[in-house]
Amino acid sequence: MGNALITIIQVYGALGGLVAIAFLFWGVDRIAPDARGAYVFRPLLIPGVVLLWPLVLWRWQVLERERDVAQRRHKPPRRSQDVFAALLALAIPIILVVALLIRQQGPFEWPAQEIEQASTEEASQ
Amino acid sequence: MSVKYIPVQWNFNKYFYDLVLLICVAVYILVFIRIGTPEAGVTRPIDGAIIRMRAFGTCAFLMLTVILCIGPLARLDRRFLPLLYNRRHFGVLTFLVALTHVVYVLNWYYAFSDISPVVGLLTTSETSGQLLGFPFEWFGMLALVILAILAFTSHDFWLAFLSAPVWKRLHLLIYVAYAAAVAHFALGYLQDATNPFFMIVAGGGAVMVSVLHLAAGLKASADGEQAHKGEWIEVGDPTVIPDGRAIIVRIKGNERAAIFRNGDALSAVSNACAHQNGPLGEGRIIDGCITCPWHGFQYRPEDGCAPAPFTEKIPTYDLRLEGDTLLIAAKAHPPGTKVDPLTVPERDA
Repeated sequence: MGNALITIIQVYGALGGLVAIAFLFWGVDRIAPDARGAYVFRPLLIPGVVLLWPLVLWRWQVLERERDVAQRRHKPPRRSQDVFAALLALAIPIILVVALLIRQQGPFEWPAQEIEQASTEEASQ
Repeated sequence: MSVKYIPVQWNFNKYFYDLVLLICVAVYILVFIRIGTPEAGVTRPIDGAIIRMRAFGTCAFLMLTVILCIGPLARLDRRFLPLLYNRRHFGVLTFLVALTHVVYVLNWYYAFSDISPVVGLLTTSETSGQLLGFPFEWFGMLALVILAILAFTSHDFWLAFLSAPVWKRLHLLIYVAYAAAVAHFALGYLQDATNPFFMIVAGGGAVMVSVLHLAAGLKASADGEQAHKGEWIEVGDPTVIPDGRAIIVRIKGNERAAIFRNGDALSAVSNACAHQNGPLGEGRIIDGCITCPWHGFQYRPEDGCAPAPFTEKIPTYDLRLEGDTLLIAAKAHPPGTKVDPLTVPERDA
């Protein structure tokens, strides 16, 4: 499982690297007027482009085709933020209480419980 | 504000902010290591490497806790706004501290192995199917990946390129990162910690994040939507708007407008700054320009344009009087549209 995940990450990263080369050498000058003639800051963008290249490609084509709606830039996601904040506010006490309940030494002094081990066959797979 | 991107926009205030941050981080880590060192030794369960990784790990957790507190604190009390000013540098430093913690972990627990440390981290746990003994490192990895995404997209270029709403949606992942960090701390450190000090500090910090977000959410939910009159929205008495300040009007859904008074002239613009969608209506007029309370971006009240050489623009709104009642148009003009200010005398003191 681990090796497959590493391979997927490597392929994703390689594609991100190609997008980064195309975007930073060519695309950025076409869609960002403030970036024209500014080169020193561009290496800072490489990790972000590699990590988020699908999002970069989507925004690149939106701006390239002049489909960006100016009015939408002024509508911050207030409701989404409120929902995320409320969920976090609920999750924190739940996580802490559950962690204290399963703790095997203090503050509740539950009797020690042996952690279930995977069988030898499962572990060797 | 900049007309051409540079790697990092520093000024005196940001240098000061960053210097204080670095000093606090350095002092915390040195004190943690100093206090922990007498308990550590190569023949004991905790050695010097573990003390160092815990110093950086707990530091990153506390930094993330402070970052999460800044937003609701600034919404509840304007005096906390200066902390918001350079929060992105705070976030990048938190990522670097967390990354140092991970490097210590990988180079200690996964050293001298034939397989890569990351593969080892993902595959060596035998207790992923149960809560007790769940590999808490996975939560830490999730938090680190999110912190990396946020740090790598912290440059102003990303704000302009993605647009502030998309950038903000992406950065809502900070809430997921913090929940993961709390789970990492709770299922890891909290399970075998015997010193109650850090349990209380970190657990209390996490509970404070929870309480502050609930309090800020309750305050925001008290803002009701104004009454609509066809294409116009009723605002109320225009004389209550103080000179150089604004009132914020909820238009529809996520859209809000700020109505500013500049002497006897009233102008309405979008409440969302073009830079990071900061609340312009909580700012004030400085040198004749609306000034964002978050990062100081400025706009002319009459047309929503930043003064030259800057190019940012925000939408404007029509205003009119019906008797003594101020009305604002429900539909905004495109960013940068000039609207003649409405003349309304100030209320006599």
